[in-house]
Amino acid sequence: MQADRKTRRRRRLKLGNAVNATLVLALGFTTMVGLISPADSTVGLTADIFLQLAGVLAAVAVLVGVSNLLFVHLGRLPRVRKGGFYSLVVILSAAAVTAVHVLDRTDAWGGDLEGEKVGPRLFGVIQVTLESALAGLVFFFLVYAAYRLMRHRVTWANLVFLAAVLIVLVGWLPLKDWEGAGDVRDWLMEIPVTAGSRGLLIGIGLGTVTVGVRVLLGRERAYREP
Amino acid sequence: MTVENLDLIAGWAGLVLTLMVFSYLLADNFLYRIAVHVLIGTAAAYIAIAAVEEVLLPWLRATVFSDDAETSASIRALGILPIFLGALLLLKASPRFARMGNFGTVFMIGIGTGVALVGAVIGTVLPLARDASNSFDHESVLNGAVLLVGTLCTLVYFQYLSRRRSDGEPVNRVHIRTLRFVGQGFVTLTLGALYASAILTSLSIFSSVIQDQLRFILDQLGG
Repeated sequence: MQADRKTRRRRRLKLGNAVNATLVLALGFTTMVGLISPADSTVGLTADIFLQLAGVLAAVAVLVGVSNLLFVHLGRLPRVRKGGFYSLVVILSAAAVTAVHVLDRTDAWGGDLEGEKVGPRLFGVIQVTLESALAGLVFFFLVYAAYRLMRHRVTWANLVFLAAVLIVLVGWLPLKDWEGAGDVRDWLMEIPVTAGSRGLLIGIGLGTVTVGVRVLLGRERAYREP
Repeated sequence: MTVENLDLIAGWAGLVLTLMVFSYLLADNFLYRIAVHVLIGTAAAYIAIAAVEEVLLPWLRATVFSDDAETSASIRALGILPIFLGALLLLKASPRFARMGNFGTVFMIGIGTGVALVGAVIGTVLPLARDASNSFDHESVLNGAVLLVGTLCTLVYFQYLSRRRSDGEPVNRVHIRTLRFVGQGFVTLTLGALYASAILTSLSIFSSVIQDQLRFILDQLGG
């Protein structure tokens, strides 16, 4: 009886995988053909609808993700010693932004702020300032990591890497007596670096095609049931 | 409260948040973590607001809640479909109903794969391969040769096909090893140059942040 149930369960799981793989193949193939067909053809219009549906679905997925983030932090609130305070900061920040946006939308600001949009100002202060400061902080870690690279182990690849870094940095400096450094930097960026990045990008493109074909053929585990 | 007061509070908040972030240079500390968690909370809220206002509401107004009398029932139903599929994603949290949530994922993966395949072939591989084949058109012979050899060797560097010796050790032919060696050199040069560009970019941002905050402080001091 139990073995029979297990067999039925296994069959059902396999059927689920087959349905998923068929759907992925149909959707992917239609989208692909639609994108390379004329926009006013039937398959082109179908692909356009698919893309709109995917965009809306992605927006819903973002909402699901944000809800999940907030629920996780709500669950951590009672555990003050394990970061509950930081979770409170996350929730209060999200609540404040949402509240300001609602007040903006309903034109609820009174006095001198009547008709003003506070949300974009808040965005400029918090979001832009914090992101800029964090991006500026990266500078110190990049320089320190380059220094650590040579302390760790000296190989020919490390030397080439550091030489490229130094050439680009020195070439960037506006030194009057070192104009040749700028020329070397320009040549490096225009010829060897272009060749390398072209090879890397073609490799990424070919890798994308390989993975895409594997997904369409149902060989990837991304949507398969265990 | 006036707009000027609001800007003043915003300026002080910006200064404090910047100092909190830069305090990480001393050590990982309480202030830095608060700043990062503020960023997480506000970013999540802004993303959610953008998703609702820029995507979901216009979509629902154009389909489900359309005032146009000619909007057919099938278009209204189509309007609900992505919301339904998105709601199914919530079921992935439950082990029992996780399979149902796969439908939304399948939809995204199918369409995303189609777009990625077309984008990779038409937008990346073909134009870059065409550029590589035209390496000698706009450059001197030496530069053209470096461009072509660099591109090909970089591609060879990322292939891992090899023969297996009788003792099981994988081995490549000498010419493949040579090409891979040259390819590694080009990859290393490229990554080094990109790393230096990242340093310069972050340095520009850092100086811009410092300049903005110093200007605010000087404004407050009347300088």
